[in-house]
Amino acid sequence: MTDTTIGAIPAEPIGTDPVYSLEELSIVCNVETAWVVELVEQGIIEARGTTVSEWRFSSVSIVRLAKAKRFDRDLGLNPAGIALVFDLLGEIDRLKARLNVLKGARTSLADRSSDDRDQV
Amino acid sequence: MEFKDYYKTLGVERDATQDDIKKAYRQLARKFHPDINKEADAEAKFKEIGEAYEALGTAEKRAAYDQLGKDWKAGQEFKPPPNWDAGFEYSGAPGGGDFSDFFSSIFGGARGERAGRSGRAHTAFHMRGEDHHAAIVIDLRDALDGATRTITLRIPDMDEGGHVLVRDKNLTVQIPKGVTEGQSIRLKGQGSPGMGEAPAGDLYLEIRFKPDPLYRVVGKDLYLDLPVTLWEAALGASVKMPTPSGAIMLKVPAGSAYGRELRIRGRGIPAAEPGDLYAVLKIVWPPATDEKARKIYEEMAKELAFDPRAGLGV
Repeated sequence: MTDTTIGAIPAEPIGTDPVYSLEELSIVCNVETAWVVELVEQGIIEARGTTVSEWRFSSVSIVRLAKAKRFDRDLGLNPAGIALVFDLLGEIDRLKARLNVLKGARTSLADRSSDDRDQV
Repeated sequence: MEFKDYYKTLGVERDATQDDIKKAYRQLARKFHPDINKEADAEAKFKEIGEAYEALGTAEKRAAYDQLGKDWKAGQEFKPPPNWDAGFEYSGAPGGGDFSDFFSSIFGGARGERAGRSGRAHTAFHMRGEDHHAAIVIDLRDALDGATRTITLRIPDMDEGGHVLVRDKNLTVQIPKGVTEGQSIRLKGQGSPGMGEAPAGDLYLEIRFKPDPLYRVVGKDLYLDLPVTLWEAALGASVKMPTPSGAIMLKVPAGSAYGRELRIRGRGIPAAEPGDLYAVLKIVWPPATDEKARKIYEEMAKELAFDPRAGLGV
């Protein structure tokens, strides 16, 4: 096992500009174009443009597609299942964030009443 | 090298059927998949499960593993017996897998291709290096101000002899200001090297935040619990509160209820359209422990016609 250290590398936020064609996206992600079309049909990744040849994808699609690929490879999910997982994970993230906000308010109430449920 | 009990990893008996093994693997894989399970040890656990399934998922490899004997215990010092694997054959070209030394000592680093339907049939013309995807955990402060952070990635690599090994790669990353949880950032050319003249792939890092002691994060917005007194909430007041860019005076409107969220525009995570900061009012009151406080509370009880339970129907 070797150890390599390189100088500081600037990271860029990934863009939402639609730049990749269907074929380019498929090559970059090393997947079949037919599978990308299925993901688009399921709403997992977003294509701008009306006809398939006009479709353009942003870098966000690369990240989502990579994740979709992991779900396909690791869990054997089909595109419909992957779409459901994406939706549910998004919903869980939103609920967790919201719960986190409420939890803070709850903690202060705890000062006087949370776990001391007095029996009378 | 420690012996690994792959049956134990998958939580199945040694005489489990191939179907049972597959089922156990699928269940655990869903539970510990690092894209689903955000616990810190999920990825390591997922890898263990994957390795165990790689060994037990096909009858040939499982037979080879079983040949080692039943008497081994997990964690026990292990040395493969000489010529132990004669007569077994498993498909799958060597290379690619990030498996333990134990696995490699038995199966020679061979990894069966488990690519799903998404895999491209022909990769021969695919010259650009592969992209890599990983997650990075940062402080909220790093997102607010931007920061330089060093991360360690474990990447499969090839030595001069063409052997696959896992290498630790330290990367010092400049994290741009204004990233949000779940967003990805890209490091150009930090993926796998390309073939021939073709460019290297990119490295994508998904941002995750460590919990912040003061602020809670929802997208680009921040939430801060702001304690106010009973009379500040009832009468209205101007109170001092922190924001990521320095303290401000916040006007608390009269008649504010517990949990009221007051928005301070643009004081969230910076962006072209920055997030907002919300002060969540927590109303607090002094205890009636001294004579003076008790008198005031008693006076309130007597003078104020207030029944908080009016709506309960009793």
